[in-house]
Amino acid sequence: MELVQKPGLGELRERVRFMGVFAFLAIAVLIGRVFYIQILDSAAWIQIAEDNVLRRVDLPSTRGMIRDAHGRVIAANRPSYNVYVIPGYFRIEGFARFADYLGLNRDERDRLEARMRSAEGSRRFQHLLGRADIDREALALIETHRAELPGVSVIATPVRQYPFGELASHALGFLNEVNADDLREFAGRDYRAGERIGRSGLEQAWESILRGRRGWVRLEHDVRGLLISRDSMAGLGPDRRREPVPGRDLVLTLDMELMRAIDRAFRGKPSGAAAVVDVRTGRVLALYSRPSIDPNLMTTGIPALLSHEIDENPYRPRIDKTIYESYFPGSTFKPFTALAGLQAGLIDARSQVTCTGRHELGHRVFRCKHVHGVVSLHRAIVESCNVFFYTLAEAVTMDRIANMAFEFGLGRRSGIGINQETPGFIPTRAWYAQNYPGQFRIGHTLNTAIGQGNTRVTVLQLAMAYAALANGGTLFVPQLVDRVEGPDGDTIQTFPPTIRRHVAVDPAYLAMIDSALAGVIGEQAGTAHAAQIAEVDVAGKTGTAQVSRIVRDPTDPRRSWSTQRDHAWFAGFAPAQNPEIAIVLLVEHGGSGGHEAAPLVTQVVREYFTRIRPGAPIPSVAAFRARQPQR
Amino acid sequence: MARTIQHRLQDDFDWPLFLVICVLATLGVVNLYSATSAQTGARAELYIQQIYWLALGGGVAVIVAAVDYKTYERYAYGAYVGSIVALLAVFLLGKSIRGTHRWIQIGSFLFQPSEFVKLTLMLAVARYVQRDTRTSAWTLRDLVAPGALIGLPLALVMAQPDLGTALIVGLVAVSTLSLVRIDRRSLLTIVVGGSAGGGMLWFYGLKQYQKERLTSFLSDTVDVQGTGWQAHQSMVAIGSGRWLGQGFMQGTQNQQHFLPDTHSDFPFPVWAQEQGFVGAVVVLLLYLFLVLWGLRIASLAKDRFGAAIAVGVTALFFWHVVFNVGMATRSLPVVGVTLPFFSYGGSSVLAILIGVGLLMNVSMRRRAL
Repeated sequence: MELVQKPGLGELRERVRFMGVFAFLAIAVLIGRVFYIQILDSAAWIQIAEDNVLRRVDLPSTRGMIRDAHGRVIAANRPSYNVYVIPGYFRIEGFARFADYLGLNRDERDRLEARMRSAEGSRRFQHLLGRADIDREALALIETHRAELPGVSVIATPVRQYPFGELASHALGFLNEVNADDLREFAGRDYRAGERIGRSGLEQAWESILRGRRGWVRLEHDVRGLLISRDSMAGLGPDRRREPVPGRDLVLTLDMELMRAIDRAFRGKPSGAAAVVDVRTGRVLALYSRPSIDPNLMTTGIPALLSHEIDENPYRPRIDKTIYESYFPGSTFKPFTALAGLQAGLIDARSQVTCTGRHELGHRVFRCKHVHGVVSLHRAIVESCNVFFYTLAEAVTMDRIANMAFEFGLGRRSGIGINQETPGFIPTRAWYAQNYPGQFRIGHTLNTAIGQGNTRVTVLQLAMAYAALANGGTLFVPQLVDRVEGPDGDTIQTFPPTIRRHVAVDPAYLAMIDSALAGVIGEQAGTAHAAQIAEVDVAGKTGTAQVSRIVRDPTDPRRSWSTQRDHAWFAGFAPAQNPEIAIVLLVEHGGSGGHEAAPLVTQVVREYFTRIRPGAPIPSVAAFRARQPQR
Repeated sequence: MARTIQHRLQDDFDWPLFLVICVLATLGVVNLYSATSAQTGARAELYIQQIYWLALGGGVAVIVAAVDYKTYERYAYGAYVGSIVALLAVFLLGKSIRGTHRWIQIGSFLFQPSEFVKLTLMLAVARYVQRDTRTSAWTLRDLVAPGALIGLPLALVMAQPDLGTALIVGLVAVSTLSLVRIDRRSLLTIVVGGSAGGGMLWFYGLKQYQKERLTSFLSDTVDVQGTGWQAHQSMVAIGSGRWLGQGFMQGTQNQQHFLPDTHSDFPFPVWAQEQGFVGAVVVLLLYLFLVLWGLRIASLAKDRFGAAIAVGVTALFFWHVVFNVGMATRSLPVVGVTLPFFSYGGSSVLAILIGVGLLMNVSMRRRAL
């Protein structure tokens, strides 16, 4: 080349070569950087890319329904529309309109706005609850103005609904939001904040069956959080959907018509409880505690004011009086004392005691309600003579009474499997020796014999025990759930009756007691004769349990209602011949069992056998109907 | 004369340069099509506009290449003065978009003088270098004149304000000037003075959002929702591309609008997510080839003016690529520098293709006739 080179052109070329090296290195660094991001560090970025567009949207499972023995729906689900907002996508200028659509009051409005404005970092892109369970009108407004409300979404979630309201609410229980403790305790079970969990009763005990399993779908969203209908993300993972598994249904042994009948019978009585069981199976047909709280309220959240009122209510609506509270059984306990004496061979049908209205023991006097004169065991039960049982108790001793009570399931948890169940209490010599060393007196045995002193039973325990009296000595485990059904109505599992034990008592003695129990209503002198009904013969025992609760503030009118009056009991079964149901009913501080409890029981029994009980009427009802003039 | 041009076109036409430009332009349009496919309205049609500009620019480049670059030496200062006037006009007649003054509306076309300043300044510096007759190294005093030459348009661009373009304008001019030998002590003075000046600029010159843009890439805990959003989403796009990418038109970051400004500042992450590491490297190697080829043209140039032009145009490509890909990979601050052929822009495409024409011009005339 014949080039005339200007001075410095060689040096210039040197420099250009240096530039080439520099450029090569610079672009090599860029390639290295891209390699690092795209290959070495890619896992994290892929995850973010997926999370950017594929948001997991829950597919809620529907909670199983609860039905009674005859298919009546006791717990179901209705849709609740909850409005959520993602602050990061929401235009805060539009807040006033948004709040109007939701119908928020000034206070709620301010709180929501503050929460939205204060959301920072990743929390700006999380759903924030605007309002739960909006009405149809608000729903229509939100849907109409969807386009102007970026970041707002309406999510329909099922809410538990209890068509029978307060009825059977203690047994059913309720749902409320999972709390931090639940999330810890059930860590493996995929509970989510805001989700509802069975909090008591059957809803709690059968949570895992009723709940089902949540599903989800990963749907593509754009940067504003709007759902993209297109479905073509080739580069992203395959696990896009998990179908929800609906919860299973429970079919109970309860009969809600019977529950209604009990509720009607209790009209005018502020507080009490009742249990009805099938003596042939141990199935619980009714479990009634009064007063109670509407579980619909409990599930949606009770306003603070109402909650306070419930807490202050002297009738204690939160307490399940069938299994959580125990009471002195009073005279309803006497059959077991009698059986202890019979089984020990200390008395028989011919044994007699003369009742002078009082029984002296050392310097103490134990009283009877009446002067019964010469009484046999039969009369002692029919007319509820305490002196007979005081006399008997001295011979039988405390531990024989206690063992007979235990035999019938008293003083032990029944095993119903819901809520907290109290075992009640049956005192023994050993217990006195341990707790009151040297203080035991025969008087304690006397009190135990008539269901006072330290003896405490639950309504359900007594019902199971009377069922055993009625059925020839089979003690069942009380059963509330008959079967589990799938969503299509197919039976998944049925639960047969569970026998706890056959009581170690001679059937002849049981027959003697049953006959005496029939006399309580059936005989002229019976303590509950006034409650007799024509349709069905009812057997049972009245009880008037003395109450030793201390009146803390007798001037408080709300407290003074109760505490001095005795609890009124009636425990029995029907029909007296060929028994089908055992029924125990307690009117708290009702007064005399014969006057206050027995009529309620016979009213319920009449309703049950003439109207509620399925199948052909029992002979006595049929005969009664035949006697009635045709209308 | 006609015979010589024909001769040059046949024998000295720079096919490698032509082909690499064609490939880059094609890939750029393809990527622009995908990048804007998620948009609606006029923006989705940008790739068509881009093709028009490429065609127009190609024609201009042919003309630019045909005329001997010696002619440009003659008109270099004139073009420089013209572009300064245009920069001033931006403030008087200009259309303000998002608080900046960068454009002059001519019909429906928004003309962006600063894109052309990159070339006219480079030409002016090249001419200054060409006319320089000194044999000893330049001292500070010698640098006053070219410094003023560079400083005036730089100040005007920064005043728009357009940090990214000012950066490129400055770097291209300095790269061109770097062909001269500079006295060591003077160089040291410049470095120290430059640092001090930079400090002054930082505390008194820059607006807060500009500072945040410059520093956000440095922090480990990226404020994803704030100033770091663009770079973060860009990283997500690149990182999720893996080896082969998610496929053309399948990039989730772009399709679901997580990536901003895919048609201007962030076309690279769209490409990287859809075409993967393989695609990204292909593009970067094409640019590397273009740069090295441009430097080869410079070193083969028959005179200093030609070499300076070639270095200047090459520097234009180089700095654009380094800053654009650098900000997309969070290696450099997000300063708003486009990626040649991948970013949409009429003025930008025209300026780039004029630059290519200049490069071709120098390449074709490396040998004397």
